[in-house]
Amino acid sequence: MVDEAPVLELRGITKRFPGVVANDHVDFDLRRGEVHALLGENGAGKSTLVNVLYGLYHPDEGSILVKGEPIRLHSPKDAIKHGIGMVHQHFMLIPVMTVAENIVLATEPTQGGVLLDYRAANKRVAELSSSFNFAIDPGARVESISVGQQQRVEILKALYRHADILILDEPTAVLTPQEARELFAILKTLTSQGMSVIFITHKLNEVLELADRITVLRRGNRIDTVDRQGATEQGLARMMVGRDVLLRVDKGAPSVAEPLLSIDDLHVIDERGLEAVRGVSFEVRSGEIVGLAGVDGNGQSELIDAISGLQRVSSGTVKLGGRDVTGVNPSSILDLGLGHIPEDRQLRGLVLEFSLAENLALHDFDKPPDSRWGWLFPRQLVRRARDLLKRYDVRGGGPQTRAAALSGGNQQKVVLAREIGRGPSVLIAAQPTRGLDVGAIEFVHRQLVEARDNGKAVLLVSLELDEILSLSDRVLVVYEGRIVAEHGPDVGEEQLGIEMTGGGREVAA
Amino acid sequence: MSVRAEQLQRAAWTRASAPQTIGLVGIALGFLALWLALPPFGVRTAPAPVAVGILAAAAGIWAISRGKVRVGGGAIVIGLVGIAGALLAMRASSSNLEGVFVWSALLAATLRFATPLTFAAIGGMFSERSGVVNIGLEGMMLMGAFFGAYGADQTGSWVGGIFIGMLSGALLALVHAIFTISLRADQIVTGTAINFLALGVTGYLYNQHYGNNGTPNNLPAIPDVNIKFLSHIPPHGLGNFLYNSIGQLNLMVWLSLLLLPVSYVVMFKTPVGLRIRSVGEHPRAADTLGISVYRTRYGAVILSGALAALGGVFLSIGFLNSFTENLTAGRGFIALAALIFGGWRPFGAFAAALLFGFSSALALRLPDLSASSSAAWPVLFQTLPYVLTLIAVAGVIGRSIPPAAIGRPYIKQ
Amino acid sequence: MTELSGEPPDLTGETPEAPEPTPEGTVPSVAARLAFYQRAGGVITPLLTALVAFLIGGLVVYATTGKNPVSTYKAIFKGSGLSWLSPVSVHWHTFYPNAVKWTGWNTGNLTALNLQQTLIVVTPLILTGLAVAFAFRCGLFNIGGNGQYTVGAITAVQFGVWFSGLPGPLHVIIAMAAATLAGAAWAGIAGLLKATTGAHEVITTIMLNWIALWIGSYLVGFNGPMQDKREISAPVTKSIAPSAHLHVFWGNPLLQGLHIGFFIALGALVVYWILLNRTTLGYEVRAVGFNAEAARYGGISVARNYFLAMAISGAFAGLAGAIDLLGWEFNLDLISVQTVQIGFIGIAVALLGRNSAIGIFFSALLFGALLNGTSSRNLDPSIFKPELAGNLTRIIQGLVVLFVGADLLILYLWQARKKVRLLQRKAEQA
Repeated sequence: MVDEAPVLELRGITKRFPGVVANDHVDFDLRRGEVHALLGENGAGKSTLVNVLYGLYHPDEGSILVKGEPIRLHSPKDAIKHGIGMVHQHFMLIPVMTVAENIVLATEPTQGGVLLDYRAANKRVAELSSSFNFAIDPGARVESISVGQQQRVEILKALYRHADILILDEPTAVLTPQEARELFAILKTLTSQGMSVIFITHKLNEVLELADRITVLRRGNRIDTVDRQGATEQGLARMMVGRDVLLRVDKGAPSVAEPLLSIDDLHVIDERGLEAVRGVSFEVRSGEIVGLAGVDGNGQSELIDAISGLQRVSSGTVKLGGRDVTGVNPSSILDLGLGHIPEDRQLRGLVLEFSLAENLALHDFDKPPDSRWGWLFPRQLVRRARDLLKRYDVRGGGPQTRAAALSGGNQQKVVLAREIGRGPSVLIAAQPTRGLDVGAIEFVHRQLVEARDNGKAVLLVSLELDEILSLSDRVLVVYEGRIVAEHGPDVGEEQLGIEMTGGGREVAA
Repeated sequence: MSVRAEQLQRAAWTRASAPQTIGLVGIALGFLALWLALPPFGVRTAPAPVAVGILAAAAGIWAISRGKVRVGGGAIVIGLVGIAGALLAMRASSSNLEGVFVWSALLAATLRFATPLTFAAIGGMFSERSGVVNIGLEGMMLMGAFFGAYGADQTGSWVGGIFIGMLSGALLALVHAIFTISLRADQIVTGTAINFLALGVTGYLYNQHYGNNGTPNNLPAIPDVNIKFLSHIPPHGLGNFLYNSIGQLNLMVWLSLLLLPVSYVVMFKTPVGLRIRSVGEHPRAADTLGISVYRTRYGAVILSGALAALGGVFLSIGFLNSFTENLTAGRGFIALAALIFGGWRPFGAFAAALLFGFSSALALRLPDLSASSSAAWPVLFQTLPYVLTLIAVAGVIGRSIPPAAIGRPYIKQ
Repeated sequence: MTELSGEPPDLTGETPEAPEPTPEGTVPSVAARLAFYQRAGGVITPLLTALVAFLIGGLVVYATTGKNPVSTYKAIFKGSGLSWLSPVSVHWHTFYPNAVKWTGWNTGNLTALNLQQTLIVVTPLILTGLAVAFAFRCGLFNIGGNGQYTVGAITAVQFGVWFSGLPGPLHVIIAMAAATLAGAAWAGIAGLLKATTGAHEVITTIMLNWIALWIGSYLVGFNGPMQDKREISAPVTKSIAPSAHLHVFWGNPLLQGLHIGFFIALGALVVYWILLNRTTLGYEVRAVGFNAEAARYGGISVARNYFLAMAISGAFAGLAGAIDLLGWEFNLDLISVQTVQIGFIGIAVALLGRNSAIGIFFSALLFGALLNGTSSRNLDPSIFKPELAGNLTRIIQGLVVLFVGADLLILYLWQARKKVRLLQRKAEQA
């Protein structure tokens, strides 16, 4: 086994982007039948490396060897040809097409060379799926099956193309702990049949549970490759970040006072006409952080949008500081003391083409001192921006800089400056640290805790259980539009994971 | 079954629920109100159509009160238009009415007017299903119209006209493809430019070659298909109706009808169609499986230009037998609306094209309605296809879901 | 082609920290793309765009007629009267001091007359250009300038015929205000449909163009209510009362001198700039145009802004119709209702002018000169047939829009220039 050439080897891979070296002479090798984890922070170069491996990027230097043979990968087509399959973080599935259509795409079986042979396609997919106990209906539309099943469709896509090297890019990001466990079981079956797996993640516990070997990347450099035996969370974390990291956020005991945000029996219908929020009631009180845990798409977005007036409430009430704001327009709700850090800073939080001064005025431009009788005072915008940028330590630009020119962390600081800086009584933070590096995450977390200590009511919505657990004073679990459980800050991850999927009930089959 | 799927199913049921149905019934009643005043019913007194129209509006109001704003609004508008149309029709003498509403002739004219729209809409389907918006259909049609006539004139044969016309449309589509796919220009801005270019190029060449005399009178025309035996089908009335409606249609009309099933099979039953759709829905997914997004889109856009041009060719040498500047008069845009209205599907687009074709046919014949030949108001019926298009894109009857990646340039990693 | 499909170019310039790429699946709006295009190359890119368009137009002339494109353009330029602006004329074939002749500003000569005509055309072009540009800043593509212009023109005629007893300035103001409102209402239909049902404004405005054309035809021709019943062969409306005429400040009022509408258009440019940059309305419009979703999260009503932006757009176009009618046309005939192009050219004006007030002024000047220089009155048919030249204008207009849309092409040219420089420097060092 040791003498056998690795199924895959990367030697001295270097990939540069304008202004950044994403991979700097990275070496990597994969043995037959092993799970090799690629560990690193966001921006460490993991995705770049696997994109090189899948033929999506072309390396500036270095070579790739499959079973000892040097190969050149010009496109994913070449990678597929060499038995490399990839499950992308954002699934490469077409929602409106069936499972079988998605799997056979580009290698379709035909009737007489012209017509697509749907019967043969469905049959082959069904056979393949049952041989791995996947239980997936080939005729089902991808948009109608669960996320866990969609991921299996992605794996089937690779298997259908006879892949023996499988790359999984952050596969557990969209899964519950239970679904993740199922995935691990599948991967173990696959490796026992001789598949080799590259597993990309930034979650330490997963690495220690699943991987045979671990390669750590930091800022485009390979730091080390270690066996699982002997590796520890602390040690890996130090390698990832380059210093000791706080795994928990420092915060004192909460001093809770009157409720500032009260939701009572709220129902919301989403754009497709489905009831996304089904009778939610809870309170967030002054001086506490309430974490809303749940798998993506269980009504969180609709709930937040309904609170901030962006989506129509079909029944129930929302009270802000004791005042009924149900059905009030978004702008007035913001004026009544709501701060809202939206889910996607580039899409919803910022107008990237606007200057920072203009971005910071997004709520207040229509009232004095920013404007009077419809006249805007640009100098006042700049004056305020200068102050806020300093207070929130935004680097990389001044009031006149376009928001698009800032890095992600600084962009998020601008959003925080705007939402916290205007002194709201209630703060909603949706996925506030997504895609940020460790330094920026710490900054955001500190700001949220500070807001809480200043007597604000903070509602934190996050898909990251770590984040929920380290910040929240109370945890609510949302599942299919309902609050299914409430816990103190010491609840276990396992418990939450079960409740997030409907109390252990098997969802998909 | 997953909970989500269950939810989706339930939603599908609610969507087809009572308010929606009542709204649709209201729309149907609105049309009925107008129809009552026309042959063969020919009701000559106000109460019946007015009552039916009011019923339509009432159904609309009820649907709106139940949250179905769009359908309800449509029912109200169509109900009122139905009443107005019926009252107008009553002002005309009934012999005039019967002169206008010769259903066999109307059907033939509807098919003739729908043909260019069908070609362009199917062309547009290929482009848009692959993810490229084609506002330039109008210009591609216009190219086909001019070069169809020019080609027929130069080669002395309508077959030559068809080929040269299609080639010109394909070439213009190639420009659209280069700019939108390779240069990633905004698809709508480029489409607008394509229309200007076509207007300028055809106008320029028309003036240079034909000038003030216009295209020659002896342009080779695409022949009609005479199906004589239809008139012998008993009973005599039916035979006559069949012969007068579909017995003497142009070859291109039949070609457009043939194009429908062919394009349907290509788009939904072949690997090529699957790949075109995959590129329009999720180009990166297609790319990671080795499908060339650029090549697929190029092919689809060029095909769309050739098909749209075919619609133009029919206009110039199958229908009018001449070319004048800006001959297409917005038909490319109506075809685009038909495509959207028809949910990016061949038969749906054809149904919409028939509707628009019918309104054009009607608009052409309606001026005969008025008793005095000098009355101005029948001219207003010329707006009918455009008003209908406006109502259609406002999405009165459900909104169709476009391909997910439409309008987005693809950047290969 | 293969060159172009490679890595996206580095747009960051001097920022030290690499900006985050736009998230996958989101594509910058039209307004964002245009903003990007504006940053890409200063004033050079529109000049380059226009130059390439004229170059290709020249090739078309040469290829189809064999005529010298330079002399054709020269004749067009002469017809535009723009040379009047320069007090000296340069004669390249002789030597100094004979090469430069002082011509001065003679207000009576043919060149002055031509310039007056050009500026009369520039006036509505500025306004229809603004109509397109304002909607653009809100992320909307208003192709309905033509219809809005027609509706404005019809309204202005009707109000000019009515109220004939009113004192001059008041009559003019009433007619202009009515036309402006009519244009706003007409475009407002598209805005309202966009805001309430999401109907795409490109299709709705095009349809509204055709509806306006036929309603206008009905009113003006075919024995319609506004037709002057004395004119049967060439249908036309009654003429407006003299009190509704705009004052002519340069040239002979009887020979279509330049009217004060030109200053109204210049004023509209200022209004446009102030509206966008110094009012909360403009802030909202720009925010929605750049990123409607972020604007919505910021508490701005996107639907309201779609409606308002379209209505204001239409107001500019309606005003254009009014100024043409009250300034020099005085009545509306069927032919011009059915063949008007001013609204469409406004698209090229706005795009080439990059939606900025100053840019729109200069590109309106360019297209105005082109239109007037190719009119059958000014272009010598022995040099180039005016009908051909008119279509040449359309081709150039199409090419301009085509190239402006392709920011990437311009950008690559721009980057190529940088690269060449870099290579030169390297070669020098070696």
